[in-house]
Amino acid sequence: MGDLLQGTLELLVLKALTLEPMHGWGIGNRIDQLSRDVFQVQQGSLYPALQRMLRKGWIRSEWRVSDHHRRARFYRLTPAGRRELARRSTEWRRASHAVDGILRVRTAEGA
Amino acid sequence: MSVWSDTAERLRALLRRGRAETELDEELRFHLEREVEARVRAGADPAAARRAAVLALGGLERVKEDVRDARGTRGLEDLAADLRYAVRALRRNAGFTAAVVLVLGLGIGAATAVFSVVDAVLLRPLPFPDAGRLVLINERNSPTNTWNISTADLTAIEARQRSFDAVGALRRGEAALAGAGTPRRVGVARVTSGVFAALGVQTERGRLLEPGDDAPGAPSVALVTHPFAVRVLGGADSAVGRSLILDGIGYTVVGVIARDAGLGSLPIPAEIWPALQVPPPVRRGPFQWIGLARLKPGVSLDAAARDLAGISRGMMGLYADWHDSTAALTPTPLKDAVVLGASGPVNLFAAAVLLVLLAAVANVATLLVVRSAAREHELAVRGALGASRLRLARLVLAECAVLTGLAGLAALGVAALGLRAVALLAPDLPRLAEVGLHGRAGAMLFAATLASGIVIAAAPVAAVLAGRAGTGARPEHARAGGGRRANRLRAVLVVAEFALALPLLVGAGVLLNSFVRLSHVDPGFDPEGAVSIQVSLPVARYPGEADIQAFWSRLEAGVSALPGIGAAGLTTALPPGDGGDEDNFNLVDHPVPAGAAEPVSPWLYVSPAYFAALGVRVQAGRDFAAADSGNAPPVAIVSRAWANRYLPGEDPVGRQFVQGGCYSCPHTTIVGVVGDVKYDGLAGDGVAAYGPLAQSFSRTASLVAHTRLAPVDAFRALRQTVAGLDPDLPVVEATPADLLEASLADPRRWTAVLGAFAVAAMALAALGVFGLMSYVVRQRRRELGVRLALGAAPRSLTRLVLVRGMRYALAGTVLGLALTALEARWLAALLFGVSALDPVTTAAAAALLLAAALAACWIPGARAARVSALEVLAAE
Repeated sequence: MGDLLQGTLELLVLKALTLEPMHGWGIGNRIDQLSRDVFQVQQGSLYPALQRMLRKGWIRSEWRVSDHHRRARFYRLTPAGRRELARRSTEWRRASHAVDGILRVRTAEGA
Repeated sequence: MSVWSDTAERLRALLRRGRAETELDEELRFHLEREVEARVRAGADPAAARRAAVLALGGLERVKEDVRDARGTRGLEDLAADLRYAVRALRRNAGFTAAVVLVLGLGIGAATAVFSVVDAVLLRPLPFPDAGRLVLINERNSPTNTWNISTADLTAIEARQRSFDAVGALRRGEAALAGAGTPRRVGVARVTSGVFAALGVQTERGRLLEPGDDAPGAPSVALVTHPFAVRVLGGADSAVGRSLILDGIGYTVVGVIARDAGLGSLPIPAEIWPALQVPPPVRRGPFQWIGLARLKPGVSLDAAARDLAGISRGMMGLYADWHDSTAALTPTPLKDAVVLGASGPVNLFAAAVLLVLLAAVANVATLLVVRSAAREHELAVRGALGASRLRLARLVLAECAVLTGLAGLAALGVAALGLRAVALLAPDLPRLAEVGLHGRAGAMLFAATLASGIVIAAAPVAAVLAGRAGTGARPEHARAGGGRRANRLRAVLVVAEFALALPLLVGAGVLLNSFVRLSHVDPGFDPEGAVSIQVSLPVARYPGEADIQAFWSRLEAGVSALPGIGAAGLTTALPPGDGGDEDNFNLVDHPVPAGAAEPVSPWLYVSPAYFAALGVRVQAGRDFAAADSGNAPPVAIVSRAWANRYLPGEDPVGRQFVQGGCYSCPHTTIVGVVGDVKYDGLAGDGVAAYGPLAQSFSRTASLVAHTRLAPVDAFRALRQTVAGLDPDLPVVEATPADLLEASLADPRRWTAVLGAFAVAAMALAALGVFGLMSYVVRQRRRELGVRLALGAAPRSLTRLVLVRGMRYALAGTVLGLALTALEARWLAALLFGVSALDPVTTAAAAALLLAAALAACWIPGARAARVSALEVLAAE
């Protein structure tokens, strides 16, 4: 899948962070894995998105030593982020369900 | 989304920008390491893996820029960077910066100062509660002929008016204050209690005047101003109850007028305000009171005028001395009366300053357009390096903002200095004390600065936005195309500067013309060797006509006996600028039609030696003589202009008239004709009539003496003579030469002020056309070089530049003629003997302006001829 909608990328980042705090590269990698490479996160758009989400208060960042014994910036979900994830997930499912329904309708031309 | 986290993140990014940048670097480096590591683990070659990792990220710098954008502090950071850049760039061009700040600062500062004056004098209401309801009441029989009201008028208005909350009468003047050191003259305003009631003025100590104080025979009481109480009476607290002796009469101080009462805004320089006691009227005149009233809420000026006109009609036939049915009591808004004489000059001044501000802005705009063109290359490089047009436009905008900001600061200083200059140049300006850099003036300064900034920034910013600068595409081509359009704008600005300079030059020219004419006017008297002292005789010590006449005779005799003094005579008015009294008359041979107003003429009373003392020649008939005493038949001497106006083509000597509407009195006979003395200023017409002092009842007179002594010695001798007659009499000294000089002070000031503005505007216009043509020459070096190479004479290139520059100057000058016509309206009142659109002056001003333009174009013109063909072609 090519360009991700900005909102979708944020949803995926929020989801990726539910398990544990992660650094930027890890988030991108996790999204690729979880979507079985259907979504290839544009790495260049990930960091601006994280910056925006910091401002919205959905995530917090802190510097920690990673598994590789290197200092890295880790992002974790805030309670506001969790609420946002729940809201976005419901919204996504409803929209996805609706689109599904539309695509299943048989039309005169046949589908 | 939380406002807090948003603000906190933005703030953090802004305040710890350096740290945020380091962290971003580190975060992205970490990202790349992980990515490379993952790719190598998947079997890639390390070098290829690094390239691929950077590629996947989409360019390190781009990501950084995107993150910076996402921080939401972009605007502020860029602004700071732009301003820093602008300051650096302006510091590199200190001369350019100084020129712009100076020109713009002067323009805005002058405009602010002049706005403060216009605001304080013309716009703001007078400083009295609900001042819009205050009116003056005058007698009027034509829109241009008004005079004061009489006791009969006041009594009738008070009895019958339905339009006013309060009505009062006042008369300003001077009085001899005795008992407090040397006798001296102080400003007094005698008022009825209605004046303070109408103005809404309060006292800070004691009481106001009350209706009971107005009654004839009531104890004499007075109010004093706060400064007078402090200076003379030892403070406001000790002032009440004190006694003052004015013109020999004792007054009890009953109150001190509050400091903020606003009386200073009225043209009444009075420190003592005695109660005016009005006796019942016996005749319709004399007309000696200024009527002042406060309209009832909701009553219009028209309604009050109808009310007053009704009262005037009701008075017809009541008094035998009055036949003018065209005269009616008329209300005028008080503010109009206070600022009346000032509005013409103030408007003219404001217009001049506005024109200079416009010229200054136009010039600075030209300078900036030229500068932005000179920076096309720099901007093009920046554009090529990836700066967006918007970003480049903001750079240019920031520079304009810094320039105008500095100019605004400079303007603040200029405005403060300007207001001081106004106080020096126009000390008689009404409401001068209220002029200052108040809130509204500050707002004006800010608005003018902002507007100037927008105007000067518009063209360069538009050029950048439209991509005419900084596109980086084929510089040579861009320069030619952009240049033509920008040149057109520059040309419009230069034309505007010339259009603005011409009216100022013409204005200064006609004022100078008028001033020269005025200073060559024959004043009608010989100021050389003449000195004068003015004396007022108080009622208390000189109650009757006999006492007054006796004093005048003794004074004249005493002074004439002094060594070194020639002729010495008395007069009730001194030329120029002291119009004295007026009186109406009706010629026996040419009476006015029944019911029409009688002619009114300036009227002086003089002693026989007066004409000789002042060097005025008796042209026909005789001078007054000792025989023209109070018991002798009334006589008059008229000026040549008087005779020409009222008895054209006839011999005035021996003619008779009824004087002052007194048809029961004996007729006055004209016994002589004298030269025209300009009592009403040098611009006056010299129409005047004289009566013998011995047949008048004048308590105030000036003694004029012709002397060989130095004025200081003459004055000492005169003072001693007066003191020998009455030690309590204050003496006011003046020399006719000083009075003559003082009467020219105003025209000289206006000429100097407008002249300064005109020179400034002309210099700005010349600078503008010089800048434009210099730029054109630099821009077209190549073309000029080619022409030279093809055999053109260098002089033809000079002519090319001159013709083009002069075309702009000429277009501007022609446009300026239209503006000159607009200006004429305000100028007319200040001019003497020359029209505001005087063709010779206008032509001379236009010629001067064009000469300045020619001189300004000559330098770039000569430079065009010196272009080296070889050098230019070699540079290609």
